[in-house]
Amino acid sequence: MKRFLGFIVIVVVLGAVAYFLLNRTDKNDGAAPAIAGAPATADVLARGEYLTRAADCIACHTVPETGKPFAGGVAFKLPFGTIYSSNITADAETGIGGWSDDDFVRAVREGVRNDGKHLYPAFPYTSYTQLSRADVLAIKAYLFSLPKVKQADRDNDLSFPFNQRWAMGFWNAAFFRSQRFVADASKSPEWNSGAYLAGALGHCAECHTPRNIGFGLENSNALAGEELQGWRAYNITSDPKYGIGGWSDDQVAQYLRTGHADGHASASGPMGEAIAHSLQFLTPEDTAALVAYLRTVPAREGKHPVDIDARPVAALASTNAAPGGDDAANAMGLRLFEGACASCHQWNGAGQQVSRASLIGTRGVNDPKGANVTQAILQGVKMRVNDTDVYMPAFGHAYTDTEVAALANYVIAHFGNKQGTVTPDDVAKKRAL
Amino acid sequence: MFVLRVNGEDRTVDVPADMPLLWVLRDVVGLTGTKFGCGIAQCGACTVHLDGQPIRSCVMPVGSIGQKAITTIEAIGETPEGQKVQKAWLDVDVVQCGYCQSGQIMSATALLTRTPNPSDADIDAAMSGNICRCGTYVRIRAAIKQAATGKPEVMQTIVSGPAGGAP
Repeated sequence: MKRFLGFIVIVVVLGAVAYFLLNRTDKNDGAAPAIAGAPATADVLARGEYLTRAADCIACHTVPETGKPFAGGVAFKLPFGTIYSSNITADAETGIGGWSDDDFVRAVREGVRNDGKHLYPAFPYTSYTQLSRADVLAIKAYLFSLPKVKQADRDNDLSFPFNQRWAMGFWNAAFFRSQRFVADASKSPEWNSGAYLAGALGHCAECHTPRNIGFGLENSNALAGEELQGWRAYNITSDPKYGIGGWSDDQVAQYLRTGHADGHASASGPMGEAIAHSLQFLTPEDTAALVAYLRTVPAREGKHPVDIDARPVAALASTNAAPGGDDAANAMGLRLFEGACASCHQWNGAGQQVSRASLIGTRGVNDPKGANVTQAILQGVKMRVNDTDVYMPAFGHAYTDTEVAALANYVIAHFGNKQGTVTPDDVAKKRAL
Repeated sequence: MFVLRVNGEDRTVDVPADMPLLWVLRDVVGLTGTKFGCGIAQCGACTVHLDGQPIRSCVMPVGSIGQKAITTIEAIGETPEGQKVQKAWLDVDVVQCGYCQSGQIMSATALLTRTPNPSDADIDAAMSGNICRCGTYVRIRAAIKQAATGKPEVMQTIVSGPAGGAP
């Protein structure tokens, strides 16, 4: 019995030691590489504004269209419940006006808020941990220069045990390392700045890196693609077939600055938000740095790799104004496409009026599961890039689940030359998200 | 500043590049035959031709038109197909309230130009993007076929004939 108790004590002590070792905070202030849009010599508010955009704080902390900037309240529906983002304006009562510099730095880099409670990693402290203290404080200075908004945070709607914030300490021990950005001296300054923009600020990995069963990032599979909130964040490794290795530097840069790259992709959904709120505002030098970094991400196939057919038979048999080469089985899909879609996308997929409407060569139409095609049909696209509205109507209210599935499968067959597998049930699930 | 080739004439317009062509045509050039319907390329009322191709002018940024020739409803009767379509439209008396009809005629003319003898499926594919809330679809289909063949498809009206001619 004594022996057994001794064993228990040893296990508890070892566990506690491991917990504290794994939850160690990196005590370094950290140093950021040179970022062209936020030079160290610039005014702190100007730096803060640029860095706040590069870190895309607004996307999660502002309710689209109706919300006041940075007042929080955006819902994140996760498999275990709903988390609401917090008010990060300088309002003392409901925002972060009472937070000290150290409080803010700890929250951003360690995921622990001013009262010592853990934040959930829906807030990407897992990426922001790489930020330098100077950059975090520039962001704080900028946020504190903006109008204060009195808006109380909404309580999360999480079930037990996920509503126990202390438990995140164990999640952190398993999946989070507090660690500042470390420049790689063997690489160019441009590459280092790209790595910081992608990793510390832009937190690309939070969506594009696959997650393991514990919702931790699978860093051995970095940027190989993942699905979240019903959208696929595609493989952005340098893999020439499944990633973006086949895109030219200009195409990657064009995509990051405008949300569209001819023959490859048009952003919508969460990536559309990232372009609209954040990436379009990077300086050309910083975009180039990001491209330089993405070029070096090791090629990986990822889960559910998308095989792109750049010459889909049916679309090539069609003209801009008339269809050809379709399998007659999906008459409903064809009928819906001719009524609602053809006048912009065209039967040959070239895209009319705006090149953004081109479909051929995109991963969306080549993914047999049709995740993003379905989402785009349901939700449409609405974003503002370079002072121009980018718009596709949402058809979720207009069509039934059966119709949306038929349309998605038609688009996949016609423009991707594949048998789509979208079912009405899949559509219903996406609607419920 | 853009120089647009509209119905065979050069028109210089001082407008922002992202202004939709429809706004330019109606409010700047003054050609109001092309109608605003939905503003999101879903109804077809704003259809005009760019180098003979039907496009929705409400979502077409004027800056991306370049040298392409714009044809609107005001000049479609100057093409052989346009003429046939307009005659058939009158003979069949397609129009009810008329709001969508300039767009219908532009789409129908483009269809007949590329497919002189369209099947029902061709008509569906070309015309589905043009909505008519009066439901004149049956007469539209008949008029397109009549324009193609020159043979009466349905009962003819008596209003046909030269403008101003007494019935």
